[in-house]
Amino acid sequence: MSWPGYRWVGYGGAAAAAVAATLIGLGMRPHFELVNIAMVYLLAVVAVALRFTRAPTILTSVLSVAAFDYFFVPPSGTFSVEDPQYVVTFAIMLGVGLIVSQLTSSVRARAQAQARLVLEAETERIRNALLSSISHDLRTPLAVIFGASSSLVERGESLGPDERHALARSIFDHAGDMSELLAKVLEMTRLQSGGIVLQRDWASLSEILGAVLQRLRERLASHMVMIELPDDLPLVRVDSVLIEQVLANLLENAAKHTPPRTLVRVRARAAGDAMTVSVEDFGPGLPDGDLEQLFGKFERGGGGGRGGMGLGLAICRAVVRLHGGTIWAERLAGAGTAFNFTLSLEPVPAIAAADCAVQSG
Amino acid sequence: MAETRGTILVVEDEPDIRRFLRSSLGGEGYKVVESPAGQRGALDAGLHKPDLVIVDLGLPDLDGVEVIRRIREWSPMPILVVSARTQERSKIEALDAGADDYVTKPFGVGELLARVRVALRHAIRPPSGKALSFGDVTIDFEKRVATRAGAEIHLTPIEFRLLGCLTRHLGMVVTQRQLLSEVWGPSHVEHTHYLRIYMKQLREKLEPDPVRPRHLLTETGIGYRLLADEP
Repeated sequence: MSWPGYRWVGYGGAAAAAVAATLIGLGMRPHFELVNIAMVYLLAVVAVALRFTRAPTILTSVLSVAAFDYFFVPPSGTFSVEDPQYVVTFAIMLGVGLIVSQLTSSVRARAQAQARLVLEAETERIRNALLSSISHDLRTPLAVIFGASSSLVERGESLGPDERHALARSIFDHAGDMSELLAKVLEMTRLQSGGIVLQRDWASLSEILGAVLQRLRERLASHMVMIELPDDLPLVRVDSVLIEQVLANLLENAAKHTPPRTLVRVRARAAGDAMTVSVEDFGPGLPDGDLEQLFGKFERGGGGGRGGMGLGLAICRAVVRLHGGTIWAERLAGAGTAFNFTLSLEPVPAIAAADCAVQSG
Repeated sequence: MAETRGTILVVEDEPDIRRFLRSSLGGEGYKVVESPAGQRGALDAGLHKPDLVIVDLGLPDLDGVEVIRRIREWSPMPILVVSARTQERSKIEALDAGADDYVTKPFGVGELLARVRVALRHAIRPPSGKALSFGDVTIDFEKRVATRAGAEIHLTPIEFRLLGCLTRHLGMVVTQRQLLSEVWGPSHVEHTHYLRIYMKQLREKLEPDPVRPRHLLTETGIGYRLLADEP
């Protein structure tokens, strides 16, 4: 409510209100008494007081009294006042204007305070939900690690080799989960604090995808991953480390939320000045509800499951937005879900002919 | 105690990580020397003349990259970098400063030992850069002949140079900057699209499934790695 120039809009409004009241008054004069015309001016003052701040309200009062005096109070056409009762009219008009503008501004301040409180409460709610979600997801593996390692430390000798191995294995697995989760929390914090400067570089989507498939080969082993990329897919200028993370999160989600041996398909197509990348699964699909909410910080895509905290999608959204793209989920006809995101395309610089034919050496 | 397979210097400030490295490297027959800080580590490298150095990038007293620079002033000994995920930039800096490879924390012992073996093998018997074979592909760099499943395939001069550069660092990561500088020249180090385009061509010619390469691997944001054996 305080952009530069707002002041001048207020003064303009004040002048306009006084002019409007005068015109209406001139129309009423043949049929109404002066006191009713004064009421029209009062209405103008109240209207300005409701809409603008105190200074335009005072201006409206002054202009209204001046106009009322000049056009209506006899002798009309002059500013002289025959009857001192019009001084009272002026005082009342100014008083009402000031009281109304005082009331409005305090109501306005209260509404702003209210809005701020609501926002703070919302931030607090998100923070609490995030904290409780993180602490839940950290506490479980931590409990396993603590318990399993304590039994190795305290009664390792009395355990058989198989048992020892199983305990060590579960420590290993849960430490891995914790490490993944912590990495995501750190990533999200970094993205949110605006502490990430994109390291944009020419990148090939198929190459990034190849690196993701290599990195996640154990976690995706249970599913059939199908890649459908056009042969002439252009290069994109992106932060390839972050885009790799987006693809990894989407593929991991697809594998996590669909039964083993389900098909997961990655497709991309370039059209105009954007590339659209889709990760589709043919699992049971998402439960009813707002798809946009999936990208909230702590949503679980229904069903839950191991380490189901939805930080992954929040990270995807933050990364895609940083790149100037959009990301959305879509229910596929039949069953299944598609997660799509766009990346903008720029013309790829040509390779200088001289560089293709570098001296053979 | 049996003969050692070599001496490894570990420059790492965290005692628990040193202990885990000592026990796993010791268990494989390596002799382990430990330095708890960077200054000390750079000196110990000269004092003990290890066969390989493992340097943590997050040292309290001296930047790990600086430790690498000091060692590289006088020795080509293999250097492995240990870094946290958030140290992407300094990882590249370390590699460009002369480190041979890296592992990212947290890492499993299998991954670390594999990197150590490759780096040591490389130091003892550097690839001649004359020939290379993997899968059903053989390449003779001197005669400039490449075959796949017995049939000759055509590679351009640039493709030979790119493969040659990766072959000289067989099994280890080569940064984008190193590749661009060696293949196209120092004025081209920013031209990363060259790499994307030529690596795509190479994979199409040499990999059975170019989207899922088994030999010409991408280290996203860092560089490339040529693996002759299956990963």
